[in-house]
Amino acid sequence: MMTMEYNPYLPRPASVNAVREESLETKTLRLSLINWRATFLPGQFVQLLLPGVGEAPFCITSSPSDPKHLELTIMRRGLVTTAAHYMRPGDAVGIRGPFGRPFPVESFKGKDLVIVATGIGIAALRSLILYTIENRNDFGDVTLLYGARFVEDLVYREELKSWAEKIKVIVTLSKPSEKWKGLKGRVTDHLDTIKLGENSLAVICGSPAVMVSVAKTLIEKGLEQKDVYLSMERHMKCGIGKCARCMIPGGFMVCKDGPVFSAGEINLEDVGE
Amino acid sequence: MAKLSWHEILGLITELQKRGFDVVGPSSEGGVVKLLPLEENTKLETNYVRTLNSPKDFLLPNKERLFRYKSTATVTSYGLKIRFPTVEGPCPITIVPEYSPPRGRIAFFGIHPCMVNSIRYLDKVMLSDPADPYYKARREGLFIAVLECDEGDEYCFCKSVGCEKVPNGYADLSIKKEGDGFVVTPRSPTGSSLLMEEGVEQIEETIPKMKEEYLFDAKDEKSIDLKDPANLLEDCTICSSCTVVCPTCYCSDIQDRFSLMDPSNVERIRTRMSCQRKSYSSIAGGVTFLRTKNERFKWRMKHKFPFSERMYGISGCVGCGNCIAFCPSRIDFRTFLGRRVA
Repeated sequence: MMTMEYNPYLPRPASVNAVREESLETKTLRLSLINWRATFLPGQFVQLLLPGVGEAPFCITSSPSDPKHLELTIMRRGLVTTAAHYMRPGDAVGIRGPFGRPFPVESFKGKDLVIVATGIGIAALRSLILYTIENRNDFGDVTLLYGARFVEDLVYREELKSWAEKIKVIVTLSKPSEKWKGLKGRVTDHLDTIKLGENSLAVICGSPAVMVSVAKTLIEKGLEQKDVYLSMERHMKCGIGKCARCMIPGGFMVCKDGPVFSAGEINLEDVGE
Repeated sequence: MAKLSWHEILGLITELQKRGFDVVGPSSEGGVVKLLPLEENTKLETNYVRTLNSPKDFLLPNKERLFRYKSTATVTSYGLKIRFPTVEGPCPITIVPEYSPPRGRIAFFGIHPCMVNSIRYLDKVMLSDPADPYYKARREGLFIAVLECDEGDEYCFCKSVGCEKVPNGYADLSIKKEGDGFVVTPRSPTGSSLLMEEGVEQIEETIPKMKEEYLFDAKDEKSIDLKDPANLLEDCTICSSCTVVCPTCYCSDIQDRFSLMDPSNVERIRTRMSCQRKSYSSIAGGVTFLRTKNERFKWRMKHKFPFSERMYGISGCVGCGNCIAFCPSRIDFRTFLGRRVA
């Protein structure tokens, strides 16, 4: 083996430290990095390699203050995600990354944040939520509006309670059971309850159609396009902009130019489904 | 500048091989001209317009192995069983990627200017920050001997996209057919040392004669979006050969593969991916962004023209016409994007 300059295609070793069940379909893997540290910011993603199965991109859901560990929240959907649900503490995995452009958290400081997440989209924003809670004094009002279909789909249920002590948390269900006592309806129905000021910023992640409609509503309500941030999803393969699998309209690579885009950079009409 | 006979041209190839290059050049095989490694039994072809494959097949080979690693998978009577290796358990295995960088000694001998332009495009994509280490290793020490092109066929349109000339620094030798012989001009120090001449010469390049010329209106995405390719694509069979023969289509997929005979040795490979396939834009949860062949055709056009222009400042289409000539339905995008002017 020859030592060469940095090769972004080679995975680095990690092992599963703990597995947390978040919902029926979702688990959070806590990974310990073996002899390396990950420097990252909220919004970036890694490629998780499961030996013998394959590789898939996941947003980092843990706080950047712990560079020795990474947490990935994984919903059971395809080959790699299903295999990930069989992982047990001690299992070896590989990590490539972190890749991508993070949220510009430095420029978020001193602002009021509106964080809108639907479904598993909250996984991509948990890192940012933890970051704002850890640096609570740097931010103004922080509101999390989280929508899901069923109560079983809600992830981070325990954490939502502890987050609610530090930031405003609004949870809404679009198809609640009769027992549900909280808010009902889609996230777009509850955007009116959030006060938007000149100092406000919005961060959105969810299914493509929801992201676009939320972004449009917020812009109609007076937010500037550059102050609305979306975390886009594509199936990134290489992570460094060489395979062009994650290209979105406008010719941007989600892995390199994103996954975080401001609504001013991309054409909202085109990026939906 | 030197006037060389056919035998002396073949001598140049032998000399390149002596210097350690893998010489790749056009050669007839099975009725088509292909770029093939030139060996004893492969004859160099100089009377050709287009080749079926392109330099990308050598610089960015299909099914390239990125690295190998060991997994603990075993085959049982009821299928494949994957037991994940445990780090501090009974079998202390971590993923150790075994990897050796490719050896970069490729010489392209006798390729046309459009193909040289495609190498420039691949360079822009693969060497932009961060550089692709596999491409970079292959690209280092690349030797290019350009065979000047006199006349294109009915599918050629390099002049319409500005790729009729060899870009600066992309040729070591220029070869021009003249009567029975060839006029060979050194364009780089490596080229002049091969000809055993001193210095580098600037030449007036032959501009190939085109049967047809077009004016494209594809600088921005909107102009492509507004057009409807439904009529044009009536005969499209979604075979994606347009992206296979294109010298600048570089989209790829990354997969882990292993043989069922020995599932513990896993290879991470990079294979070609085509935007003409539905799986190209599928994401978890079943969302596909480019659902119809019309959308996917427009996507190819957008990647070639406005996106490449925005990202790399050059056209992603080099005007070789391969996608039209090798399309089973001869789908011609040129009148879709612009109009014929000559």
